[in-house]
This record gives sequence, C-alpha cells and structure tokens, in this order.
Amino acid sequence: MAASFCALALLRPAALDRYFQARLPLFVMADRGRTATSLCSLAVVLMLVASGFLGSHDPLANPLPLVVWTVLWVGFTLLQGAVGHVWYWLDPWYGIHRFATHMLGIRKFRAFPRWLGLWPAVLLFLGFAWFELIDLAPEDPPRLAAAVSAYLVATLAAMMVFGHEPWGRRAEFLSVFFTMVARFSVLDWDRSGDRSVSLCWPGAKLAAAEPMPASGVVFLLAVLASVSFDGLSKTFLWLGANGINPLEFPGRSAVMTINSAGLLAAIAVLAALFFLAVWLGLLIVDIGSLLGSAGLLIYSIVPIALAYHFSHYITALLVDGQYALVALSDPFGRGWNVFGTAHRHVEAGIVMGHDSAWAIWNAQAVAIVSGHVLAVVLAHRLSLRLHADESKAVISQVPLAVLMVGYTLFGLWLLSTPSAG
Amino acid sequence: MNRGSTMSDKTISTLRTTISRRSTLKGLAAAGGLIAAPGFVRYTQAQSAAPIKIGFQAHKTGIGAAYGRWYERTTNAAVKLINEAGGINGRPVEIIVEDDGTDPKRGAEVVAKFANQHKTDIVYGTLFSHVVVGSAPTAGELKIPYYVVSEGYHVASGKMNRWCFQPGITDVRAQVTSVAPWVSANLGKKVAIIFPDYAFGHDHRDYFTPAIKAQGGEVIAQIPIPPTESSFTKYFPQIPAETEVLYHVMVGPAVLTFVKELGEFYGSNRPQLFGFIDSLEAVDINSPGLEFLDGSHFWEGAPRYVQANDSEAMKAYRAAVGIDDNGAAVEDAKDVSTAAHMFGCWETLYVIKQAMEAAGYQGPQDRQKLIEATEAIPGFEETNEHPQGDKVIDGKLHQCYGHQNISKVEGGKLKVVHRTEIKDGFYEAEADYTQMAF
Repeated sequence: MAASFCALALLRPAALDRYFQARLPLFVMADRGRTATSLCSLAVVLMLVASGFLGSHDPLANPLPLVVWTVLWVGFTLLQGAVGHVWYWLDPWYGIHRFATHMLGIRKFRAFPRWLGLWPAVLLFLGFAWFELIDLAPEDPPRLAAAVSAYLVATLAAMMVFGHEPWGRRAEFLSVFFTMVARFSVLDWDRSGDRSVSLCWPGAKLAAAEPMPASGVVFLLAVLASVSFDGLSKTFLWLGANGINPLEFPGRSAVMTINSAGLLAAIAVLAALFFLAVWLGLLIVDIGSLLGSAGLLIYSIVPIALAYHFSHYITALLVDGQYALVALSDPFGRGWNVFGTAHRHVEAGIVMGHDSAWAIWNAQAVAIVSGHVLAVVLAHRLSLRLHADESKAVISQVPLAVLMVGYTLFGLWLLSTPSAG
Repeated sequence: MNRGSTMSDKTISTLRTTISRRSTLKGLAAAGGLIAAPGFVRYTQAQSAAPIKIGFQAHKTGIGAAYGRWYERTTNAAVKLINEAGGINGRPVEIIVEDDGTDPKRGAEVVAKFANQHKTDIVYGTLFSHVVVGSAPTAGELKIPYYVVSEGYHVASGKMNRWCFQPGITDVRAQVTSVAPWVSANLGKKVAIIFPDYAFGHDHRDYFTPAIKAQGGEVIAQIPIPPTESSFTKYFPQIPAETEVLYHVMVGPAVLTFVKELGEFYGSNRPQLFGFIDSLEAVDINSPGLEFLDGSHFWEGAPRYVQANDSEAMKAYRAAVGIDDNGAAVEDAKDVSTAAHMFGCWETLYVIKQAMEAAGYQGPQDRQKLIEATEAIPGFEETNEHPQGDKVIDGKLHQCYGHQNISKVEGGKLKVVHRTEIKDGFYEAEADYTQMAF
C-alpha cells in the first residue's frame, strides 16, 4: 500500500485520467417504471413485515431478520457497490409517496433546512447501528417487524412533509448509504443525459462526485466505524480490557453499556483521525479549507467501507444467505414451498474447517488490501481537484495515506486476532 | 460443602441402597412403559387433540449458535419419531423455537414469552450455563417446568428451583469424577492439570483433584491459563518433569494454537494426554495442527465416530439425526456435530414424554404433577429412547447419572476404549429439590 502511494506520487495525472475516464458503452436504459418497481419492492417489504409478526419466532427460519440483516444490509450493499444504483429502483417509498401525494393533491413540500445537512441521516444510522450491534434481540422477528414498520411509516410521513428526494438524500440513511456506495460500482448510468449505461473501473465515478458537507463525511465514517467496531467488540483484546472473559462471553445484555460507549467512541475516533489527517495535509501545503477538502477526500473512504463490509460479513452472508433462501420459501411457517427451496439443506460447513478458513481469510485480506490501495489512488485523484499544483496535491495526501496504511493493518489484525462468537 | 472433600464410605453405601431400590422401581417403570405403548387406552381418552407445546429455548444466535444448530436438529429428529409413534398422551408434539441469543437476560424473557404468549406446556433445551442460571428464576416464578440439557453442575448444586430439571445429560461433576479411576489405572497417577482460569476450568480442577486422589493418584500441578491468553509456550515449563498425565481442558479459538505449541514443546516424548472433547466439539479432529493429539484420550458423552460395537439404539439414533460415520452432517462432511452433548436433547424429550404419560398430563394445570412424575422416574434402560445408555435419575437432585466414554485418538478418529460405570460418577449430593415448595 505504501508502495502504491509512492508509485502514484510518480505517476503523471494523465495516466490516472485513463483509469477514471475510461468508459465502455454497453446499452441504453430508459428511466421508466420506477413507480412500479418501487411499489413491488414495498409489497415485498410489507410481506416480510407480516411474516415477522405472524411467522416463526426463530430468527433463522423467519425471512424478515435474514432479509434485513443479511440480504439487505450485507448482500445488497455489496451488490450496490458492484453493479450500481439498484436501490434507485427498489426504494420502497418512491412509488407510494408518488401515489399518496398525487391522491392528496400535494404539490409543494416544506423546504428541508439546509443547516441540517446530513445530520438526520447520521442520527438515524446511529439508531440502526445501535439496534444491530447492541440491542438485546435485533433478530427477534416480531421486534424487528415493529422496528421496520415504525421506520417505514415515519419515513413516509417525513417524505410527505419534505418530499421524497430531499428526505432520501439527507435523512433516510439507507438511501444515503446506498447512493454513496453505488458510486463505487463498475456500471455508469448517465440518467440525466443520453441514458447510456457504460462499464467503468471500480471507483472511477467517485472521482467526479460533488463535495459532501461535514455531516456527510461523518456519515460515511460512522458506517465504517460501526462495522469495524462490531469486529473489535468481539476481540479478546476489547473483552479483556473491559473485564469480560471471552471464553465465557456473558451475552449482549452484559455489554450494552460498554458497547454503546464503544460504538460512539469508535465513530468519534475515526472521524477525529480523518479530519486530523486532512488538516495535517493542508497544513503541509498551507492552502485550502478543511471542510472542503474533507468533503471531497471522504470519497476515497468508500472502497475501504465496502472492503470492511465484505470482510466482516462474508461468513454471515455465506451461511445466513442460505437460511434466507430456505425461509423465503415458507415465510409464514406454514409448510409452503414457494420457491422450491424450503427443504434445502443449509450447508454450515461452507465456512468451517481449515480449507474454508484459508480461503475466506485470503478473500478478506485481498478485499481489505485492494480496498485500501484503491482508496489511495482515489485520494490522489481527488486531491488533484483540490490542488492545482501537482506536487502539493501529492504531499497533502501523505497524512491520509498514513491513516489508510494504519487502518489496513487494523483491518488485517481484526481478521486474525482471537475473538468470541 | 467443600467441593474438594472426598466421598465418604457412608455416602457410597447410601447410594448403593438407593440404587438397589431404584432397580426395583426401574422394573416397575419399564412395565408401565410397556403398557403405555401406542394404542393404550389413555390415547383414545385424550381429552384434546391439541398439540403438546414444547418451548425450545434455543441458542440460535450468539456464542452458542454452533451447539444450538445441532440441538435443534436432534430435537426435530426426536420429535418426528415421537409424533410418528402417536405423540404424547395421544397428542402431537409441537416445538416452538425462541432464540435466547445465548444471553441470560434474553433467556429469561424467552421463558416468559413461552409461558405467557405461546402458552407452552413446558420450556426445554437450554445448553449454556449462564442462560440456564439466568432463566431458571423466571421459570420458577411462572411455575413452568424447565428441562435443560446443559451438563452444568448448577442444577445438581441445588441453586435452581423445583421447576428446573436436567434428566437427559450428566453434569460436569459426575463426568470428571467418573473418568478418574480409568485415568489413574491406565494413564498414570501423577497428573498435572492445565485449565482456563474461570468457572469451567475451576470445575475440572476442583472435581478431578479429589477424584484422582481417591484412586491413589495425585494432582502434582495446577496450571491456570488466563482466558484471554493466545500463546501458551511460556506456561509449559510449569508442568513438572515427572508428570505422567497432562489433563487439559482448554477451550475457545486458541485451542489449535495450544495443541500446536504443546507439540512443539514436547516433540515425540510427551506425557499421556487426557482432555475433554468440549475443547474440540464441532471441530474436525483432523484439522492441521492437531496431529499432536494422536494417541491421546478424550472424554466423550456420546461417541462422535461410529464404533464397531455401537448398539442398535445408537445406530438408529445416528441415522435419525443424520450424522455420518465421522459424526458430521450426512449432507455436509465439514459440518461436524456436537455429538458428545446433543444426544441429551433426544433423551430429555423422551424423559418428558415418559413423565407426561406417567402424570396423565393434560395441560398447564398438571405442571406440578409433571415435575413430581419426573422426580419419581428412577432411571431408564438403554433403548432407542436412550441411545447413549442406561441412566439413573436422582429425583432429589433433578439430575441423571450415566455412563461416560473415554476415547483414544487413533488414525484421525476417536475410538472408545472405555465406558465408565454409572456409579463411577456418583458424588455426595448437595441438594434435595423435593423438599422445596412449588
């Protein structure tokens, strides 16, 4: 990684241009039918909520927890990162919002206060992360169904007041996150132009992104920090430091306070380190605004966030993904076999044994390292937008590159250190 | 009571008297069992065709999930057979699963949900000790029978309540006590114990030390390892040179490192090794790094690998649960089962069936009768319902005693070389639940 940074420092900007600007046109895709796909998506969500309330209480037999925590939060995030903005079509609020505003004759919405930035999204994500990582039973189907219902209704209500697009861009955390992640993907859809879909290099679209406000910076760092903290909180180091015997892990109820504090601290520490690195970079070259630079350089964190997402959740995805296939065939526990997968054997051994451990560890390590290498490349490219002088652009990224090397080592350590559960 | 005290002669003779009385009762119970076969009049008189609801407090998530998966698989296999044979008292059995997250607080909530929301007849199936300890008070308050499959000593310690029972798996104290005679006679008398420094390790230290002493042996070193330790070489010099047997009960993700480093420390000239399979439950014994264990011995509740002399009952049980000759899932050779423990689910369900039939159980109003009926079961023979072997239930302790297996690692498999006697596990009882109010 350090080597990649040095290599970049020697590269001419024109060489990088080819990586970021190369496009291979594939096909044209019309922007039609979003209302229909969104309504279908909503119907699926409502069906899942119903199965959460009425189906099996077993979190590995009920499709709701499996879809929310595995298919959506893990699988869909990676899908967005790979192929692009699928969420644009599947956002469950778009269709119903359009329908409801049309029926009620609502044409004007209250202006979303600019000063709020993306802070509502940060807060809502914190609630989500707390529920996922710290709540006593986030996988309990009725409990999750209640949470999802409340969020669905509250979001729709907020969108009725502020509009679908402003609320989705600033407050609805899934839309905010999925939109950020989609910029990493290898498909580039020129939606407002000629509607062409082109192939591009991973992360190429990020280089052209608009700068984010400080709240947006904190948002992405909060996602990355929460995933990292989930890993950290299970390590022998963290448990030992908190006086908890990792061989006799007492359960979530015993670590709610320390993990709540830990989650907030992890976000605060990562955000502080990021702003510090950007600030130090500016200090060296003596030019530029901290918020403006951070708002642009944050996009270099997207590949890292995706890499952590992949590495941290890959084993869960491999096993719980199979449970999801089974559960979706019989969502209400009535012996149905809708997709013919109800009696499929869940192969838990897929993540067991020496060979699997070796393969998974390598996949994780490759993801983490290549995510960070891409991040360095992106940071370099983005800093060229900030600093006309190429040498200043290179020097200004040194502190951020150091942070990224440190985070790579931290990520690899997380994967290899003993952990409980 | 001092856990370290040895069993007095008086206690042993009392136990012998109890056993002979039990043998008589056992004969009666067996006769009762024959009468209560499918077709018995009680079936046709069943007042309700509604299912008997068993709330399965399962470790679906959290640190117990690997065990939980196999506990569920065993449970489903047993319930399928019970239902095919006519259910309990003419009523089908329905398992209702709630995930306790392997958490004591959630465990208590789940027990309350079973009692108040699902209105199950009983709660069953908990493995991890801290969940049992956290949930038992709620079961007691709500007066719902709570059958655990935990192997912990907490039930027999007398610290639970009248509603909490462990009739289908022996407790760790009996397990540790019962292996001492064989270890002393076959492996050596000078034993060093290396154990993780917390309750689980302390149980082994505190129960094995007096047990081996009673056999004329001696624990010459007790070496605690901090639970957060991930490298062990620095502790090995504490093992005395004259050690004949190294008794090890390390658990957790560092076990492979422990074994590997032990191998590097000793090379080919090592003392005898004796361990508990808990260290490697659900782990392939042929994992790289474990070669050093070849020729060493392990305790097993039920054997993981198929044995040449397996009983018909054991064969039928393995086939029903769906484990192959190596103790892995028949569909997935890498998915190694928790064979040493999960038979306890199967056997506990058959105890529940036997007790419900003896009590003429009809519904929650008969819960007290169910507990009394379970307390009255003297034990059971080795049958398809109890494939791990015959057992004795101490109604006062709410705990069963049974045979234990000592297996040798040979050619990458565990081969049973000794089966302990039930009496080898007896210890001085500390509790009498029958004196407690409901």
